[in-house]
Amino acid sequence: MNWLIVKNDFKRNKAINLALLLFMMFSAGLAVLSVIMGVQTFTSISNLYEKAQPPHFLQMHKGEINLEEIDAFMSEQDGVTYWQTVTMINVHGESLTTAGNNDQFNLSDLRIDIGLVKQNETRDLLVNAKHEKVILGEGELGMPVLLRERYDMEMGDPIILTYNDVQREFVIKEFILDSQMNSPMVSSTRILLNDQDFDMLAEEAGEKEYLIESYFANTNEASNFQTAYENAELPQNGQAVTYAMIFLLSAITDITIVFVLLLVSLLLIMVSFICVKFTIMAALEEDLSEIGTMKAIGLPFEDIRGIYINKYRALALVGVILGYTVALLSSGVFTNHISTTFGDMSMSPLTVILSILVACFTFLLMNLYCKRVLKKINKVTVVDALVTGKGFGKEEDFIKDGLYQSKKLSVNWLMAIREVFYRFKNWIIVFSVVLIAVLMTLVPINLMNTFESPEFITYMGSSLEDILIEVQDGENLESNYERVIEVLESDAGVEGYYEYRRVRVQTMNADNDLMNLHIDSGEHSGNELQYLSGAAPGADNEIAISYLNANEIDKEVGERMVLFYGNEEMEFVISGIYQDVTSGGYTAKSKYDFPELDSEKYSFSVNLQDNTQVEKKADEWSESMGPGANVDPMEEFINQTLGGVVIQLKTIVAAIVIIGVCLVMLITVLFLKLRLAKDLSEIAILKALGFSELDIKKQYMIKIGSVSLIGIIAGIILTRLLGERIVNLVLMISGLGIREVELIANPLVQYILVPLLLLASILSVTWIVLRIIKRYHIISIINE
Amino acid sequence: MKTILKVQDLCKSFGESRVLNNVNFEVEEGEFIAIMGQSGSGKSTLLYSISGMDRPTSGDILLFGNDIAKLDDETISEVRLKQMGFIFQHSYLLKNLSIKDNIVLPGFKLGKLSREEVNQNVDALLVKTGIENVAGHDIKKVSGGQLQRAAICRALINQPDILFGDEPTGALNSSTSREILDIINTINNEGTTVILVTHDVKVAARADRIIFLLDGNIHDKLTLGKYDGIKENTSLREKTLYEWLEIKGF
Repeated sequence: MNWLIVKNDFKRNKAINLALLLFMMFSAGLAVLSVIMGVQTFTSISNLYEKAQPPHFLQMHKGEINLEEIDAFMSEQDGVTYWQTVTMINVHGESLTTAGNNDQFNLSDLRIDIGLVKQNETRDLLVNAKHEKVILGEGELGMPVLLRERYDMEMGDPIILTYNDVQREFVIKEFILDSQMNSPMVSSTRILLNDQDFDMLAEEAGEKEYLIESYFANTNEASNFQTAYENAELPQNGQAVTYAMIFLLSAITDITIVFVLLLVSLLLIMVSFICVKFTIMAALEEDLSEIGTMKAIGLPFEDIRGIYINKYRALALVGVILGYTVALLSSGVFTNHISTTFGDMSMSPLTVILSILVACFTFLLMNLYCKRVLKKINKVTVVDALVTGKGFGKEEDFIKDGLYQSKKLSVNWLMAIREVFYRFKNWIIVFSVVLIAVLMTLVPINLMNTFESPEFITYMGSSLEDILIEVQDGENLESNYERVIEVLESDAGVEGYYEYRRVRVQTMNADNDLMNLHIDSGEHSGNELQYLSGAAPGADNEIAISYLNANEIDKEVGERMVLFYGNEEMEFVISGIYQDVTSGGYTAKSKYDFPELDSEKYSFSVNLQDNTQVEKKADEWSESMGPGANVDPMEEFINQTLGGVVIQLKTIVAAIVIIGVCLVMLITVLFLKLRLAKDLSEIAILKALGFSELDIKKQYMIKIGSVSLIGIIAGIILTRLLGERIVNLVLMISGLGIREVELIANPLVQYILVPLLLLASILSVTWIVLRIIKRYHIISIINE
Repeated sequence: MKTILKVQDLCKSFGESRVLNNVNFEVEEGEFIAIMGQSGSGKSTLLYSISGMDRPTSGDILLFGNDIAKLDDETISEVRLKQMGFIFQHSYLLKNLSIKDNIVLPGFKLGKLSREEVNQNVDALLVKTGIENVAGHDIKKVSGGQLQRAAICRALINQPDILFGDEPTGALNSSTSREILDIINTINNEGTTVILVTHDVKVAARADRIIFLLDGNIHDKLTLGKYDGIKENTSLREKTLYEWLEIKGF
């Protein structure tokens, strides 16, 4: 019998049941999608890493190299299980020209370093999308997927390499996945060549750079190994990167997206539950007299609830199955970036099992929630249901008298504002959904804006200047340094510059072992960074350390630390702790310049008088300073390092804005339809009194508009209060070296565009739905 | 006397079913008309059609010289606000407003008088109908009689030219009903035209004229003349009306 009732109910309340089904589908679908995204990201990366085997510790080096010395050192290290030294031929973007899609162009705008390599034998392999080792024939070339995305390259496109006097033509045979350099945040990328081609070019073109790669039984040994390696004075003219950093830099884009999707899913699930409650309550109100009658004839609560719970169970089951199916079918779109970056991955059994578990959990949760809401049936009495018509609502305990005291406000505004003010709980659903939509939209928008903002560089351990120059060529370091100084001093366009000298000292870590500390020393060192606590060093005996270093040595601001260098030791006070993602996140800043020590590197932050000339000046200096100095316009540097994340985030943000707008419109329509049905009698009374349809529409527009506005304001406040905490929590978990980011909001977007977009969408659907009022006749209250 | 309502060939159908069939009658200014008939005779439909709350299928309804069936929503709403008052069987007050706020609402909406003046008129009506002591009360906390009096105050706040009533005492006990009818007679004596639908002889006996509907047609009319409130005369009016209705099988 119950199923007959359920069937009839589906026929009778098509719109409400459909809306409910959609919400249940949404909740289940998004929960499943988040799990698929999350698990796929980690399994895909793990799978790629298992096949490609990136190094556990990587030291890049430009200049001369003594392989025997390295081999001798490696063989003496206990934890090292394997090592290799990979040779790269460095070329610049302008050396490569491609001719795809009838359009010939070169890669001169590419700021990251390009290294030509040949395939390794067993480790650090460059693989194709199926994670197979790529073997090329002569004249063939493997292009990193990073560049395919950026330059819209296709298989078979010719690539012409022009370097010094050498010109060779290659054809793109494969797009390769590079487990250690596939992130735009890594400053280099590798192009694979056939062994013979490589050997020939190695003699003819480009300067060489070496990747000294080591593998350990336990990847945690990388940090100790790094100290030992550096102390052995082995080649280290370049970045040193650990396995954990490689993994995180590779995954940051997808981790960010998973995080954003998870946030949106959670918020949407909250909205779904609010709507489920609302629609169930609306259905119960509608069936009030039937429920009263069932109670009057003696049907127990469980039996009455049973009728409804069957319906919601059926809806939840169909909703979850549909949601699961839609999530599975659409997961390809969302995991597209993962498969492009980390290779084609069929869904792992873990993903399937977890997603089914999440779907089942969502179903159970919905069941429980529906059961809880339906408990209200128990509370309503026969008299409430059939005589007083009080229904399921709590006793509306007070009527606020005083409309008659109003002096000026027009009646429509007066009635609408009083309703919103005194009966806010009737509108709480619109308020909550708008608030959630604002939060859901603004946090990713602000995150994207933060990544795009030039100020973000100060969270990354660099100061905010027009141009950054780095000199780190071991043998010619000092002469290169002199040349940079010479150029900067003679250039009238330079407003000012700060120079920093990197030296290496040692200190004790938390376990009382010696560890290396790389200090950027200089008069203004650390001045422009954002500090988590404390401030930049103000005196010679002060030092600021990066967040990761602070963790490593387990010290706080104000504590003392001893630095060992040469045969000396010196005590410093920690003046501040800052976050840093440069140089693996392990850096320090001091005013004291350690004159006894040799420099590892020099860097210059340069400000120009005319900052519209940044690009031009960077190119000019790059030319005049020669290959020993890296000249990067800061904005371009940020664009190229964070550009990938921003592009992905932009796509996601666009999707979220569309979802947010659709969500508020859908909820407004659903809510308003139910609200109008409930207000039928009131509308008819107002019409009978002489209120026109336009008056009534105005009242609803004011009600919905003001509730939405309150929701928007609350959403903005909550975004400001919680947005950063949510983002920082994720950053802290990610261990990227950034613990705290102040979200940089664009006031125009945050305070005007997003609120206006949401408000306009809500009000426009409200106006459309309100056309229904025309169909409400006064006599309907008589026939009710 | 001026004719304020002229109904010509009024027909109203709901789907295939014709409820009103070529109804014709006129109402003069200051008249008190009672519409009577069996259940389903079409009396409420007639009332809603002539008050502009429902649209006729065909025919003309000239109220104050305008064919109200052809007025747009804005205009008919204005007519309702300025010139009409309506009392239903149930009070149909807005449940989120107090008694006084309910009454004040059409006055504020019309905006003809200042808000102070509207408040003064409301206070006077509350006194007149004997509910001044519940003015600020929640409508759920007063009696049915008090609610109906409040509904009358609301219908009168803009001093309408015509007052429509659909069984206005139908849900009240006899003593409250009598008090309400006294108020309606007083209003009528002050010049407001009253048209009521009722099946209660005691209510209809207060009217100047009775229109009897049968199967959607005006079957007969009875003129009783102005009600004077004298007990003997009232009994006589009721007896006359009762006998007239009996002949019609009512």
